[in-house]
Amino acid sequence: MSIFKKLITALRGGATEVGEAIVDTQAIRILEQEVRDSKTALNDAKTNLTAIMAEKMGVDRKVKDLGAKIKEHEGYAMQALDKGDEALATDVATKIADFEHELNIQNGILEGYASKIAALKKMIRQTERNIQAMDREISVVKTTEKVQKANDLASAKFSGSTSSLRSATDSLERIKARQQKREDQSAAAMELESEESGGDLQARLKNAGIVDSGSSGSSVLERLKKQKEKS
Amino acid sequence: MSNEKLQQFMKELDGNLLSDDAKLSAEMFDDENSVICIKVEDREEFPIYMTLDEGQILCTTHLFGEDQVDQSRRAEMIEDMLMLNISIPLSAFSKVGGQYVMFGALSPNSSTDDLLHEIELLSDNVLDAIDAVSEFLKEAA
Repeated sequence: MSIFKKLITALRGGATEVGEAIVDTQAIRILEQEVRDSKTALNDAKTNLTAIMAEKMGVDRKVKDLGAKIKEHEGYAMQALDKGDEALATDVATKIADFEHELNIQNGILEGYASKIAALKKMIRQTERNIQAMDREISVVKTTEKVQKANDLASAKFSGSTSSLRSATDSLERIKARQQKREDQSAAAMELESEESGGDLQARLKNAGIVDSGSSGSSVLERLKKQKEKS
Repeated sequence: MSNEKLQQFMKELDGNLLSDDAKLSAEMFDDENSVICIKVEDREEFPIYMTLDEGQILCTTHLFGEDQVDQSRRAEMIEDMLMLNISIPLSAFSKVGGQYVMFGALSPNSSTDDLLHEIELLSDNVLDAIDAVSEFLKEAA
């Protein structure tokens, strides 16, 4: 069974009945047991992997040695042939054949180990994934249970109107109302500030054309000079 | 180990401000120090619960219980949620027991800024999501 199917089976238990426990504790206990079993299996697999990898290294060495020996003896055979010693060359060739036979056997063993290692690695990865998924699920369920209990406790304190206390739409409305109030308050505060700094009056005077918005340093100086001339 | 890290997260998050200056409060929710309860100022109705395991940090908010769903339109609501899931930035719907939840998951190596970003998004998403499915919820008694 895939891990996701397993989780669904475990979690469906209590989910169908409204108001019941989040998930029946039996299902969680089964999941927890499964996590423990998986962890044991994981440890075994890792120990196995280490052992097989060590054995494979031994075979690797043998294969390398045999390869070297074959090459070495091929050299001897050639030298024997060069010297015209056919009999010696034949003996060496027989030896090479033995080595090659052994090399074939060891290569077969090596392949066997390699595929075993690949399978174990795959299994370890899958088991780790499964353990993480189950751990996560257990943690989520436990957290939800804690939150639920706390909520129940809180609503019991406000006895009576439990449904309105816990209604999501009501909560949303309350939040929206608070947000609106905050926005209104800050808008009002800004208005007040601009009024206090005379911004509002100035703006109204400008709009009414009473105050010249184009007033500048030079125009003020001009006005003052004229006033001085008159006096 | 993970509990110590969670406590560190709690200290780093508590009192922090989101981009709109809303203040966060973060406190341990349980005796085992395995859940942090994070509240965003003015949105205290929908606390965010943060847990940590080897693989991820999980931020979850409880939306509503099955008892609040108009059962005659339940399938429609669930289909809407499923379709909406992919469009919601960084958060997704889920259900734990009889509770509909919204959650976001982060790497355990996330920075405080990453966490703040997640919390802000989740908090916004929760409000938008409830707004979106409110037509399927029963009127409060």
